[in-house]
Amino acid sequence: MLGKASAIWARVELTCAALLAASITLLILLNVVTRSMGAALYWVDELAIYAMAWMTFLGASAALHYGKSVSVTVLTDILPEPAKSLVAKLVHLIVLCFALFMIWFCWRWYAPLDLARHGFDVKAFQGASFNFIYAEPTTTLGIKKAWVWSIMWLFALGATLHSLSNLFGYEPDTGEVE
Amino acid sequence: EDFRLGLITPPNHVWTRAAEAFGTELAETSGSAHSVTVFPAQQLGNEAEMLQQLQTGALDMAFMTVAEVSNRANDFGAFYAPYLAKDIAHAGRILRSETATDLLAQLPAEVGVVGTGYGMAGLRQIVSRGDIQSAEDLAGLKLRITPFDPILDFYNAIGAAPTPMPLPSVYDALANGQVDAIDMDAELIWVLKYYEHADTIVQSDHMMFPMVGLVSGRVWAGLSEEDRAMIGELMAKHVDTTIDSYIEMEQPWLDQIEATGKTYVKVDEDYFADAVTKWDAIWSEKSSALDALRQVGADTAE
Amino acid sequence: MTPFVFAFKLLISVPVALVLSLTAIWYIWESGNTVLYDSFGQKMFSGLETYGLLAIPLFMLTGEMMNEGGMTRRLINAARVFVGGFRGGLAYINLLANMFMAAIIGSATAQIAVMARAMTPEMEKEGYDKGFAAATTAAGGLLAPVIPPSMMFVIFGVLAQIPIGDMFLAGILPGLLMAISFACVIAIIGFFQGFPKGDWFTRKESLAALLACLPAALIPLAIIGGILFGIATPTESAAIASLIAFLVGWLIYGELKPSALFALFKRTAVNASMIVFMIAAASVFGWVIIYEALPQKLAALITSITSDPFVFLLIVNCVLLAVGMLIDGIAAVILITPILLPIAMNDYNIDPYQFGVVMCLNLVLGLLTPPVGVGLYVASTMSGVSPWQIFRSLWPFLLAVAVILVLLSRFPLLSTALI
Ligand code: NA
Ligand code: NA
Repeated sequence: MLGKASAIWARVELTCAALLAASITLLILLNVVTRSMGAALYWVDELAIYAMAWMTFLGASAALHYGKSVSVTVLTDILPEPAKSLVAKLVHLIVLCFALFMIWFCWRWYAPLDLARHGFDVKAFQGASFNFIYAEPTTTLGIKKAWVWSIMWLFALGATLHSLSNLFGYEPDTGEVE
Repeated sequence: EDFRLGLITPPNHVWTRAAEAFGTELAETSGSAHSVTVFPAQQLGNEAEMLQQLQTGALDMAFMTVAEVSNRANDFGAFYAPYLAKDIAHAGRILRSETATDLLAQLPAEVGVVGTGYGMAGLRQIVSRGDIQSAEDLAGLKLRITPFDPILDFYNAIGAAPTPMPLPSVYDALANGQVDAIDMDAELIWVLKYYEHADTIVQSDHMMFPMVGLVSGRVWAGLSEEDRAMIGELMAKHVDTTIDSYIEMEQPWLDQIEATGKTYVKVDEDYFADAVTKWDAIWSEKSSALDALRQVGADTAE
Repeated sequence: MTPFVFAFKLLISVPVALVLSLTAIWYIWESGNTVLYDSFGQKMFSGLETYGLLAIPLFMLTGEMMNEGGMTRRLINAARVFVGGFRGGLAYINLLANMFMAAIIGSATAQIAVMARAMTPEMEKEGYDKGFAAATTAAGGLLAPVIPPSMMFVIFGVLAQIPIGDMFLAGILPGLLMAISFACVIAIIGFFQGFPKGDWFTRKESLAALLACLPAALIPLAIIGGILFGIATPTESAAIASLIAFLVGWLIYGELKPSALFALFKRTAVNASMIVFMIAAASVFGWVIIYEALPQKLAALITSITSDPFVFLLIVNCVLLAVGMLIDGIAAVILITPILLPIAMNDYNIDPYQFGVVMCLNLVLGLLTPPVGVGLYVASTMSGVSPWQIFRSLWPFLLAVAVILVLLSRFPLLSTALI
């Protein structure tokens, strides 16, 4: 169940990341075309950067499922078998800790309960908490930055799902990305 | 307590030196009860990031362009009204006016920071690859700006094609022609040699570029009354010194740029026809402070 | 305690990005500044909000398109026409191709990504040790940020408030020195180990190889032309290059089907996100370190030791080498410049260009040193050779760079002569 959810979610993440990689390229090309026509679009750079950020965090979470992250394996490569899988478990546990930390950070950052307590009145919430996350603007896109940052939630939750699945013994499947 | 103060300017820049002088004097005045560690050159992040850190209280203080603040409190956009100041000394007088100081009162509620006082960088000028005879020649030009609404609205009103581009790319972009012109201050035109790949430097003085000394709202709330008074007063004093520095240095920079032998044109408000009126029409909606600041500008014009 | 935990996590193969993040989390906990947790997510995100980073996925995509479309193969084939018959010819081709690419690309990781995927299999096919093949390519990638254009020099120029054009000029001689020293390293290794000797093409084969590579020459032309004629910035030229690579691979060579594009984008997304995520984690890590003013304390220590500029630079080199092992490239430039440059200029009267070149080259070296060496991992990912195996063949190249660093530290003229 857990393993299946992790696999499906990783596939979704990867598909979105691929689409974002494509859109980065298109946006940058759009930049070249519109600028050479003397009608540069103000918001393309920022959107391209956000597309890259979303691609990165989706890809980084999916990488946990596929076991594709960059790591130093000098020592673990030469470990004998029982120790090897024990260390692997420990790593999964550490990754899970990181993922839970990220959820906690997002929780402190977005403070959803506090916001609800103020009846979703952002001004009242800001006045009481000095937390201005919901007021932060994007530079050129005209939407609130809180929407853009929400990828950190997806990343934190995705990483939690994948590391739980890894911890409870579902082998990372590396077939998807080669 | 040891406070952390962040800014984007490099070591030895006027703003950074003011920050260090503030730290020294705060330590003396408080009998070493307080000290300030200065983090220059975006070490703690760019201005948007530093502002967010001020809000959470991760950062205690910052010297920051008003541009960053005005993205969150529209009233401050009025400082960028074209030809609000007719020269750099005039800009200094406007920033030292009561009207300007009163604007700071809204910062704690709107942005979560306490504004202690204003400082300044140089006025904005235009550097162009091609010949610029009149403002019509600017129409259609790809003109590099910092992505920031008041500047965008000004160049749209002129009919230029404002093109946002990060500062590190600007030199090459101008050299190769990815942009035809840039909006820049005299200091960087001279120090970073942007004039090298230009045919014309237009000394337009079209916009001032104020800076503001900020303390985190969360940190401020935890300070005693005496500490608030001492910190507020000293910081205001030292950000204010940057105004005098720029008034003193602006002209020598412009002279040096002119002496390079590039075509050098000095223009005023009339050059830009009705662009200023158009800008005011947009911003009288966005900023409730525009009329008051225009009045201050008229009163202090001499 | 913190360094110990850091090393432990690294050695049991926790992903490098998470090691950096967790160390930052741990360090905040120890220092009691838990208010930093409120900015943690934001800081990790903002580590990516840099326009220049877009070059990484874009150049990776270019590499994918050039490889899948059969372009790289034809380019190398054409190069073989000229030196294919020499002993070790392909190793020198690798170096020359890297020099050529360095004049186009401004980032070592991006260049390593393109070249490692293309050159390593070719060299392996011809009988070179694949660790050596990947190492030669990785070393060649170090030329990218030294020979102009260079993302790193741009960032240094902005931080130091010196003209970027002059900073670029300062990199030319050191870049050539590096290329020559790499050629020497290849020659020496070849002398001791013996390199495979290829065959010369027949005249007919040569002609065919040259003709086949003509469309491929469009890419470097488009990149250089695009920049010089003001159509595109260096970052944008990467996007244009991948568009051309796709069109040529699809319409002219007929080896790349549009239906295969999605797989390419998927691979680009996975590989790029690995690298960019590490940069995000490194930026949080650097933020915490800076926040605790650790580098300033370090700088105070150095000034108490010596008053000689050369000795100072040697010490700086050693410190940076250590820094470069932990923090990579551009992030390190941003962290270090504001701390060390004022000391160098004010206390030791060192020319900012010389200091910039020495510092950047040193931190570039750090891209290839474990445990945190993005360039090394990129080379490994793109070539399929393990980082350790690459490093075993890589150290002579790194040694050569170290020697050049000493020369650059001793003789300011090597950096400033062309300005
Ligand atoms: Na280069
Ligand atoms: Na390293």
